[in-house]
Amino acid sequence: MSEQEMGKGDKDEMISCQEALEKVYEYLDGELGSPDAEKVREHVKICKNCYPLFDFERAFLDYVREKGFAEEASGELLERVQAIVREAG
Amino acid sequence: MSAPDEQRTREFESEALPHLDALYGLGLRLTGGDESAAQDLVQETMLRAYRAWDSFELGSNCRSWLMTILRNTFINDYRKRKNRPAGVDYDEVAERPVFMDAKSTDPEGKFFGRLIDREVITAIESLPIDFRIPLVLADVEGLGYQEIADLLEVPVGTVKSRLFRARRRLQRVLYEYAIEMGYIR
Repeated sequence: MSEQEMGKGDKDEMISCQEALEKVYEYLDGELGSPDAEKVREHVKICKNCYPLFDFERAFLDYVREKGFAEEASGELLERVQAIVREAG
Repeated sequence: MSAPDEQRTREFESEALPHLDALYGLGLRLTGGDESAAQDLVQETMLRAYRAWDSFELGSNCRSWLMTILRNTFINDYRKRKNRPAGVDYDEVAERPVFMDAKSTDPEGKFFGRLIDREVITAIESLPIDFRIPLVLADVEGLGYQEIADLLEVPVGTVKSRLFRARRRLQRVLYEYAIEMGYIR
């Protein structure tokens, strides 16, 4: 087998559920480069165990990103900061 | 205070102070809900911002400029304390995905939407510091893995594995809470 054919064979090889699971966040974060991202995408497309898990993880991440930040009433901090700034000026 | 100083101070106050609540929110997430540490962090940030005010370009995004100063101030301090005893159990066992437990009752993770906003915030703040920081930087601030690695001065692989485990822990805490509250039957 030539080197080129071997390379092609690797690309078409299906990754395992375990491998897909380990890369779930990297994949969803868009941090997985090619060809790893394609391998995960191909696996999830046809694996009935993994695609609901990926959807679940996506729902979780969307939720954390949406709700993870909230402004907080800083109360008397405003006066303290004003005083510091006036003093520094 | 001279007239130009007076004007500079007024300008700073009108541009920067409206972002105090946002800065305090980020400060609380990073310090794990420690109000006094978060207040000190915001004060330090504001003092640095005021001193550097001449380098701020009026009209550009003041909020994100201030957030960056706050983040850098916090992380510099965190890096200095790196030699403290490890507060995290660094076992190599990956946490079981919540999906495995929820798939028969709530496979789409609808329960996340039923949680009250405050619940996710409390859950984030109670994560161990070495897990919480990458999670806040990635999911609250939207930074990439490399950027987080550079800030924390750790390899990208470390960011990846801490973020992975932080998220697994967080979803586990939220899942258990949702069961306790009856959001999942």
